[in-house]
Amino acid sequence: MDHKYLKRVRRNDRFARYIITVGGLAVIFSVILILFLIARVTFPLFQQPSVRQVAQFNLANPAASRVLATGVDEYLENLFLVGGDGSFVFYDPRSGQTVERLAAAPPAEGLRVVDAEQFGAARYNLLWNDGSLTMEQVRFRARFDAEGRRSFERSLVRLGSLGPLPEGLPQRTLARGSAEGGLVRVTLQADQRLRVDQHLVSEDLFGDQTTEHYDFYLETVAPGEKITALTMDEQGTALYAGTDQGSLLRWDLSEPGEGVLKDRLPAFTDRRAITALGLVYGDISLAVGDALGGVSTWFPVASAASGGEKRLQRIHTLIGHGSAIQSLVPSRRDKSLLSIDADGIVHLDHMTSERHLLRLGQDRPLRHLAISIRGDGLFAIDGQGRALVWRVNNPHPEVSWRTLFGKVWYENYNEPVYAWQSSSASDDFEPKLSLTPLIFGTIKGTLYAMLFAVPLALFGAIYTSQFGNDRLRGIIKPAVEIMAAIPSVIIGFLAALWFAPLLDKSVPALFLTLLLIPAFLLAAVVVWQMLRKRPFFKRIEKGHEFLLLIPVLLAAVVAAWQLGPVLEAWLFGGNFNLWLFSEAGSRYDSRNNIVIAFALGFAVIPIIFTIAEDALSNVPHSLKAASLALGASRWQTVWRVILPSASPGIFAGTMIGFGRAIGETMIVLMATGNTAIMDWSIFNGMRPLSSNIAVEIPEAPVAGTLYRVLFLSAVFLFIMTFVLNTVAEVVRQRLRKKYGRF
Amino acid sequence: MIETHSVTAPNPIVQVRDLDFYYGSAQALHGLNLDFPRNMVTALIGPSGCGKSTFLRCLNRMNDLVDGARVVGSICLDGTEVNTADTDIIELRRRVGMVFQKSNPFPKSIYENAIYGLRIAGIKERAVLDETVEKSLKGAALWDEVKDRLHQSALGLSGGQMQRLCIARAISVNPEVILMDEPCSALDPKSTARIEGLIGELREEYTIIIVTHNMQQAARVSDYTAFLYEGVLVEFGLTKDLFVKPKSKQTEDYITGRFG
Repeated sequence: MDHKYLKRVRRNDRFARYIITVGGLAVIFSVILILFLIARVTFPLFQQPSVRQVAQFNLANPAASRVLATGVDEYLENLFLVGGDGSFVFYDPRSGQTVERLAAAPPAEGLRVVDAEQFGAARYNLLWNDGSLTMEQVRFRARFDAEGRRSFERSLVRLGSLGPLPEGLPQRTLARGSAEGGLVRVTLQADQRLRVDQHLVSEDLFGDQTTEHYDFYLETVAPGEKITALTMDEQGTALYAGTDQGSLLRWDLSEPGEGVLKDRLPAFTDRRAITALGLVYGDISLAVGDALGGVSTWFPVASAASGGEKRLQRIHTLIGHGSAIQSLVPSRRDKSLLSIDADGIVHLDHMTSERHLLRLGQDRPLRHLAISIRGDGLFAIDGQGRALVWRVNNPHPEVSWRTLFGKVWYENYNEPVYAWQSSSASDDFEPKLSLTPLIFGTIKGTLYAMLFAVPLALFGAIYTSQFGNDRLRGIIKPAVEIMAAIPSVIIGFLAALWFAPLLDKSVPALFLTLLLIPAFLLAAVVVWQMLRKRPFFKRIEKGHEFLLLIPVLLAAVVAAWQLGPVLEAWLFGGNFNLWLFSEAGSRYDSRNNIVIAFALGFAVIPIIFTIAEDALSNVPHSLKAASLALGASRWQTVWRVILPSASPGIFAGTMIGFGRAIGETMIVLMATGNTAIMDWSIFNGMRPLSSNIAVEIPEAPVAGTLYRVLFLSAVFLFIMTFVLNTVAEVVRQRLRKKYGRF
Repeated sequence: MIETHSVTAPNPIVQVRDLDFYYGSAQALHGLNLDFPRNMVTALIGPSGCGKSTFLRCLNRMNDLVDGARVVGSICLDGTEVNTADTDIIELRRRVGMVFQKSNPFPKSIYENAIYGLRIAGIKERAVLDETVEKSLKGAALWDEVKDRLHQSALGLSGGQMQRLCIARAISVNPEVILMDEPCSALDPKSTARIEGLIGELREEYTIIIVTHNMQQAARVSDYTAFLYEGVLVEFGLTKDLFVKPKSKQTEDYITGRFG
């Protein structure tokens, strides 16, 4: 052979091998890259929160000797404390210098502040030494000068003031203001009684305001027991108290002039003292700190044991401290909670996920603590009067493997649940991001669809490849392949807007169809056995017998749809859906799993059919001939020889169909109803992973928790299809090895 | 018109009369008349496309599988007409076994291959199955080679072994006639020799009809030979007569290698 030609052949060979290698590696690389890019978005979900100390300085001011409360603004640029003289002292975190001092005006001449309580957003109750109380709010307004430099205008706004009490200086006092300007004050008297003062403002139709005043005493604890902690919600309607013997008390103050004791229960079996109470953001969960360093959260739960009445119940237990809890500071952003113990150690925990986020103060005990409203800054004062400022990187405290996959006890729920509910109308709403109902939805929808599609596609493939003649095959195969080309949005559209309403009215007819078709088929086969010997029927060409079946099947369908309403009237009192609800206790959703099974099945049948048909047709004719020559019937041949030999292909087709069904988005988006419930009933809808992503991603703030969790669900979808395909390939290779070289 | 020379074989088991075969409108066999003698080996020879394989497949009605195939005429097996619509084809094929050109064991174990005919007949008794496996594998001279690996895949056997397994599979159901369609064409000379030896043994119990391209093989293994040419039976007679002094000019041309 020509030497040059040989060289060219070799070069082309090398070149082709190079191209193929590069192409293959590029495919693998891109798949891994896609997975990595999606997964990268989810990494911050599982990062441990971190803190970075940004400032530390000594409090020069002597007011620091007695700090009543601390605070910090949104941007960590204004730190302030409430000093023992009742003045608000502002510091610049960069220099540590006092920048401004604002003194709250005393309600009467010569009074001084004895205590301060921080609540809500930068609000402070100042208790004066005659027992009167003022409610102050610290406000910041940023200003920009000609050069664009920012400066702050700080002011104190008095939200309300309440006069002295007849009993004199109380042990402890709480006050809350309502949006209308009303005030509620609760004072703990030396005799352990609680006095409630309600100044309620109501506005009539003409805008005239009237103020009513109620004062009353609440029945409290047994003699010898002492109230050691008190807290109240922001509306002043729910009051909580804890005692030195471990009792928790809860009153409802929503009715004017009336305090109803809702709960009085021993919180701990060992009757340890309750040392701190606080309300987690949203004012539903009560955080309880005890003398042994335990932190737990409670909220009222309706249970059968209490006759449907809501009773306080311990819901979450957070990581404990080594010594008694001094105070609890809730985050104003999420359900996180700061707790300080007697040793000055601070924990940051997330209530719902029970994640332990941060631990501070091991090296220097901390005394006072404030958290910025965004939850990204901490301001603390230690025992030696030093101020410390930290930036907190804690973007996704509410996410843990347990909240993503386990049952979680959310606020206002009667039990732990798997729940997906990413948004709501209210601001203090906590997103519920469990992927379990979504994975369940994916699996449920896919399984039922496969239950419908696999037998139909496989039997269709067996008939077409083994029993039908070549002409028939030439018609059926392209026709089924055209099915695959129907855009899934059209299938979803038909399923949701045509099939689902139709099914609403005719569930019994559908089930009757499923019964009557096999019944009519069997009858037709029996009749055929009697008729086939007649000369007229002998003329029917072999492989065309199915034409006779078409009218039989049509008759079955017509009969079922005619008999359906009769059956419904007879068995189900005329309305199956109502009967299902009242008798079987199952809800009937219009967008339900039957619709999905049909629609999704319709989408995957062509895939399974085509691949299975190819596999069956590619079984060597010699095997079929060998079996037939040994006296096997056609059915025996199919069952014992053709099917096992084609099993790798059939399996692959089924798995590819399965993968398609899992990833299918449009159909499930339109026809599942997108309800994230976990119920195997075929009459309920579901919310699969894929349609969940499609529904929620436009609404999800970039880099937010929802955004990242949606990416995580995409990773799961990716992994599910990847694992499925890998398993399919491995099994296929094994089957191939077992069933030979075909 | 081709002159035909045919002898009448003694003790026939299969009698073919006026057999025409059509693929659609094309006629492939023209009025064949032939008696196959019992417990003898009959070879069908002829050039490619002369219709020997088609004729062979008429005998167990395998042509039924071909779309548009039509068989006219009479085929009697032991005096019973089998070319009718009422014939139980399954029964016929159990009586007339077949071994194909390309060995085609099922992708199952050797054991399962050997008892496939019994399985499809619904026989489940272990003892019967075991006995059949041994008997048919011994009958196909394969037993000694595979008795220790009966449950391994048949696809691991060599080509010659596979073909003997196919023979074992065919004799496991005790047919009266075994049709062999060029059983050695894909085998090496050594394996061919073994199969040829085997054919010699099998004719003690079975009637064998073998299609072959290989004239030496026909001469070696067969008792009678039929020469087909363009769908017509040109000559049928004792092998030793046909090869030594063919009556027909065409036969002579063919066996002396002038065409084919």
